[in-house]
Amino acid sequence: MSKPVPVALGCEPVVGSLTSSRKRDYKVTNRLQEGKRPLYAVVFNFIDSCYFNVFATVGGNRVTVYQCLEGGVIAVLQSYVDEDKDESFYTVSWACNIDGTPYVVAGGFNGIIRVIDAGSEKIHKSFVGHGDSINEIRTQPLKPSLVVSASKDESVRLWNVHTGICILIFAGAGGHRNEVLSVDFHPSDIYRIASCGMDNTVKIWSMKEFWTYVEKSFTWTDLPSKFPTKYVQFPVSKNLFMLQIKIYYNCIQFQVFIASVHTNYVDCNRWLGDFILSKSVDNEIVLWEPKVKEQTPGEGVADILQKYPVPECDIWFIKFSCDFHYNAAAIGNREGKIFVWELQSSPPVLVARLSHAQSKSPIRQTAMSYDGSTILSCCEDGTIWRWDAVANSAT
Amino acid sequence: MVSKAADSAIKLRKSHGQPANDAVGTLSSKIDQLEKQIQAERFVSIKEKLLRNGKKVQCHVSHVVSAISKRDSLHTQENRINQMLSSRIDHPLFKFNAFSQGSGDKDLNNSLDVIFTASIKMPYIERLPPYTSWIFLDRNQRMAEDQSVVGRRRIYYDQHGSEALICSDSEEELTEPEEDKHEFTDAEDRILWMAFEEYGLTEEVLDAVSESVGGTRQEIQDRYKILREKNMERQDQESESSGDVESRIGISLEESLSTALDSFDNLFCRRCMMFDCRLHGCSQPLIYPSEKQPVWFEHEEDRKPCSDQCYLRLKAEKILEGNEATTMEEGVLTLASSGAAELGNKSTATTLVEERCNSMNATPFPVEVAGCGGLNLNVPVAESLGKRKTINQSDKALSDLTLLTDDSQSSCKKQKKITDTDVVTAVNDYNRDLNVSACDEKCIIASECLNDSVERASNKPLLSGSTCPDEHGNVGDGPKDGMAEAEFNESSYFMNEHVEGMKSLSEWKPLEKELYLKGVEMFGRNSCLITRNLLSGLKTCMEVATYMHAGGASMPYRSNVPPNSLKNDNGNTDAECTDQEMPTRARLIRKRGKTRKFKYSWKSAGHPSIWKRIADGKNQSCKQYTPCGCQSMCGKQCPCLHNGTCCEKYCGCSKSCKNRFRGCHCAKSQCRSRQCPCFAAGRECDPDVCRNCWVSCGDGSLGEPPRRGDSQCGNMRLLLRQQQRILLAESDVAGWGAFLKNPVNKNDYLGEYTGELISHREADKRGKIYDRANSSFLFDLNDQYVLDAYRKGDKLKFANHSSNPNCYAKVMLVAGDHRVGIFAKEHIEASEELFYDYRYGPDQAPAWARKPESSKRDESAASQGRAKKHQSH
Repeated sequence: MSKPVPVALGCEPVVGSLTSSRKRDYKVTNRLQEGKRPLYAVVFNFIDSCYFNVFATVGGNRVTVYQCLEGGVIAVLQSYVDEDKDESFYTVSWACNIDGTPYVVAGGFNGIIRVIDAGSEKIHKSFVGHGDSINEIRTQPLKPSLVVSASKDESVRLWNVHTGICILIFAGAGGHRNEVLSVDFHPSDIYRIASCGMDNTVKIWSMKEFWTYVEKSFTWTDLPSKFPTKYVQFPVSKNLFMLQIKIYYNCIQFQVFIASVHTNYVDCNRWLGDFILSKSVDNEIVLWEPKVKEQTPGEGVADILQKYPVPECDIWFIKFSCDFHYNAAAIGNREGKIFVWELQSSPPVLVARLSHAQSKSPIRQTAMSYDGSTILSCCEDGTIWRWDAVANSAT
Repeated sequence: MVSKAADSAIKLRKSHGQPANDAVGTLSSKIDQLEKQIQAERFVSIKEKLLRNGKKVQCHVSHVVSAISKRDSLHTQENRINQMLSSRIDHPLFKFNAFSQGSGDKDLNNSLDVIFTASIKMPYIERLPPYTSWIFLDRNQRMAEDQSVVGRRRIYYDQHGSEALICSDSEEELTEPEEDKHEFTDAEDRILWMAFEEYGLTEEVLDAVSESVGGTRQEIQDRYKILREKNMERQDQESESSGDVESRIGISLEESLSTALDSFDNLFCRRCMMFDCRLHGCSQPLIYPSEKQPVWFEHEEDRKPCSDQCYLRLKAEKILEGNEATTMEEGVLTLASSGAAELGNKSTATTLVEERCNSMNATPFPVEVAGCGGLNLNVPVAESLGKRKTINQSDKALSDLTLLTDDSQSSCKKQKKITDTDVVTAVNDYNRDLNVSACDEKCIIASECLNDSVERASNKPLLSGSTCPDEHGNVGDGPKDGMAEAEFNESSYFMNEHVEGMKSLSEWKPLEKELYLKGVEMFGRNSCLITRNLLSGLKTCMEVATYMHAGGASMPYRSNVPPNSLKNDNGNTDAECTDQEMPTRARLIRKRGKTRKFKYSWKSAGHPSIWKRIADGKNQSCKQYTPCGCQSMCGKQCPCLHNGTCCEKYCGCSKSCKNRFRGCHCAKSQCRSRQCPCFAAGRECDPDVCRNCWVSCGDGSLGEPPRRGDSQCGNMRLLLRQQQRILLAESDVAGWGAFLKNPVNKNDYLGEYTGELISHREADKRGKIYDRANSSFLFDLNDQYVLDAYRKGDKLKFANHSSNPNCYAKVMLVAGDHRVGIFAKEHIEASEELFYDYRYGPDQAPAWARKPESSKRDESAASQGRAKKHQSH
């Protein structure tokens, strides 16, 4: 997939070299076969320090909670199964209520978000509302009772898992024009989220204006369905032009922040500080800085800073993951190989390239542990692979 | 950056001094060099950016860490133990041991299967019928440009994922080759600047440059010119040091009206009377009706001074002198209040009153009542100010006055009462002003300005704050002296004074002038209304009147006359003075006669061709209406006539235009049958056009319009949104369905099918996508537009298809717009599901619409064309 337009002079990105630096070596320490259905998501718990070695996977109608123990041992802790055999979970995320009880939040084909109380092994809530499949769920790290979901119904929704309220719906006039595939909370700007999808765009939204509703959702005692859910129709950018117009007439719509970085589906995006990491089906992860165009304030431009090549990664619905400190990202490819990139060095450094003779199935998602020493991958063929950093090679 | 490059370029040229031809070789190497340098700089900057960003990331992470530890501290060890997850950690369901150290890679054949012995079940929940997030619309919207799918690449994947099926239609890719204007980056600027500055703008250099810089040759040359201009500007600025930059917020008075009104013209929809109309869009062509609305009219005799600064006061004095008693009350009032003004001031002012009274003595004019009223009321004021002497003097003057006006009393008895009350208010007004002001030493003009300046203080703090006080002083002197020896025979005297005063106080800014002209257009030569509505806070009525007499009205013909030249015009303003309202009145009378004549001369309401179409039994073909801008009568060139639409009230043409749809005259029928020409033509009645169709508004507390018919028209239901409550629920047939809350009768209006207005071309493209999903919300509206309710619409979009429906859809022309109404075909009970016949074209219908018994979302649908719903006939 070649770029249609050559990159303008002075805007070239730094492209990482695929020669592995072997800064860190990983070895397969375990492999599990979890049924025959594809596993679409695997995620470590970054919410509760006692459970940093606990992870969850989803595949088919099943949600499973595991623990990584010393020496490559994996323990099965909990297993949940949806009575609807047709359900196929696509995504899972960890969250918690305000008391800190850990929740596993999963969603998929049916469009119903399942909030499982891992503390009592019971289903806490089921969110019905999305009009179609759910492609990704993410948790706000500072307020882990808030989750966002990206759906095929072209909307992104913000939920409060504690009270079970759908607080905001990001859709409408300025919203996505096709399935939303990925969404992520800004790490420090609590109001901000980025979403991307099949319409080839990344949209940055702000819920600052609606924050009172978010706060209200924590104290809501009435039925969740009676909560005044708000529509956020326009992605927002800082817009000085707007202010001036507002003095004239109070009627102009908000402008849209759309960045065209990709010419195909954008299936995963994550914030890296104020920059955005995103990937399409172009065999690479791209790091770019969102900027507002001066002439046309509505549309954003992306200043592509770095590229992290990932060979054989030209199918969609392959998601990458970062460790807790955003030092590295791991991504699998169509052929079962994993590429671990150092994110913040310039030029990017390939930490390691993980391959195994028997890992041939497409890797749908990876999970990096808190310190990046363990990498998990879940595959199309229903296997989970555990890779552990080899201690001595770190020197 | 450019200037830096320029400096170095100049230096280089000087040091080398090579002729351009030889230099081309070195140029390309130099460009290469510069390119490399730019790239290196870029990489350094990225590195720096990442470093900075890395710090932010660290900061973010530390926040999260502290949040985690805070949560941890909340947990006591106890409640953690109670948690199943913790206990599971101690007692896992199963443990999978790692590969033994020596086993290596080959030993993985025996994979460890996870066996789920104790799975916790999640109870079954039925999934919702699929839908796409949609936004409620209560009126149709035109599609925004960026929502188009035409010419956009569309990629489909099969259901399960990995392989691309269709990337895009070849046709689509060809349609809009994206020929964007090249945007030059800083780096490109640097290269072309360096090259041209150093080697001159020759073909060879251009060749070399275009190799490394994007854009066409022309664009490169243009860019160079822009850069040069910028560079010049920068140098200029540097030499001038820092010129203060004026911050422009809001409407500046220096702007012209057209600039200031630009957004108004662009954003205000004259059809919907709202800003940012999504139905008719921005930048509609402005169509001015050839028949102007009659200007607002008040008889001069009925008019009261609009303020202290009303020209009527001024006028009264003039009239006074000319022995005219027509506008006496105003005149009296003016006198009274100006008398009051002077009372409050120093003795110089009182002498003025005497003077004035003396001059009035000469005229047999009944000022007595007003004078007394004014005086009585003024006493307390004056006393409080401690000017007893003044009162005495004015007392004297007034008694003189009374004596002399006795003989004319009889003629003004009728006016006594009115005048009294008027005076009271006027004086009260004055008192208020007086209290506010601190400068009661100032003469008339000063007090006149008061009101103005108070107002202005809020609007233009700068102006009133800095310039006004000074001006007061200066101006105040003039009239003081002038009036002491005033001879009232010179009628233009006051005028001159005012013009001068005005000029120094506030020059007429271009915007004000244009606003004034607009005012004349709207209100005629009525300075009170112009001031109140358009220039409030900017100009006083008196100023406007003066300006008007000074020939302001003729400004457009001498558009470039600077405000200074006003003074020269003052000499010959006298002649125009008297005609303030005259032309207006004449025009109005003419107009009234005309309209009346037409009203009663209409025999048939509709246009013959419409009648014919109706008679043919064919509904009026659904042609999109666009207002024409024809003046008076529409001829063959009229776009409406050409399009086959009627002219409507939004057209520029005259009401007597032959192509106008003239509404109905139905008296009792409620316009619900084909006897009503509106109904027959597929139109809703329009209270502006139809004779007997009227609308009552609100609860009647605001007063009702005259009832023209016997009963309210029944053919304005879309216009008045007299719709039923529609409920959305899972359909009994397929997917979602629309249900009715309350029972309705046959032909009742249920609601509107709203959506995005898209072109047929767009609809074809979208239709392809929708047909793929086998769920289409397209509705054929007219020859230009299709309604798409996919992302925007209302609940009626969920009403399903049936070949034996209980509703029907009908396209109605409502105030020039086609809208889709859904009506009951029969009596429908409460909470019944609504169906109507989609009336797909024979080749478009999906399988489920073709076979009467099949459901809407039949999976085996194989549609040929693009399915679009149509109205029932």
